[in-house]
Amino acid sequence: MSEANEKEPRELLKSAFSPMGDAELQRDLWPQALRRLDERAIQAPWFDWALAAGVLAWLLWFPESLPVLLYHM
Amino acid sequence: MNAHPYLRAYMAGITVPTMALLLALTVFCIARLGYHVPVPIERLLVFPMAIVPNLFGLWNILYVRVGSGRRLPIGLHGALLPFLVVPLAFTIASSLGFLTFGQEALVLFDALRIPYSRLAVIFPGTVVIYYLVWKHLVGFFNELLGIA
Repeated sequence: MSEANEKEPRELLKSAFSPMGDAELQRDLWPQALRRLDERAIQAPWFDWALAAGVLAWLLWFPESLPVLLYHM
Repeated sequence: MNAHPYLRAYMAGITVPTMALLLALTVFCIARLGYHVPVPIERLLVFPMAIVPNLFGLWNILYVRVGSGRRLPIGLHGALLPFLVVPLAFTIASSLGFLTFGQEALVLFDALRIPYSRLAVIFPGTVVIYYLVWKHLVGFFNELLGIA
């Protein structure tokens, strides 16, 4: 294919695809996610700690419950 | 960040059960390969791998869809999910043949017997775990993705 013949499909391709000048993300999202992770300390009321302790005791007392629990988690 | 809130709700919802699946798979593989418990892993995994994450995602979409004015706190919203998940799990497990209902106990994998009296403890325990998971983990991911 000669140079002249290649020119026309190249121009057609260029006109078909919009320029990709703005393809980069405007900002990096990872630092924002890290900042949110840092902002959030563990804030659980005593009631939740008591429930968590109860669940732990339950699993230690009835270890056969674990497969049942894992099955629907 | 208001674009695609339902997609973000779905992603936030499926994160926890997807991570828990690794733990579940590890336990079941150890039971199967280490202790030779006759666990049919390929049939067993259908529910925790395919159905539970999708239910979590859809339940979280429902949470976002209801709107901040009318919805329950996220912990209570999550604590309602076992009322849907547990009957579904029992139905699928019994239809796939690894859960049978004996006279005095449920029998899992022809190996593990769970007396019916224990179920009275297992179900509330499951509700509590769902409450904690939704309040502290799914709620965290919702905040992280800007939909809380």
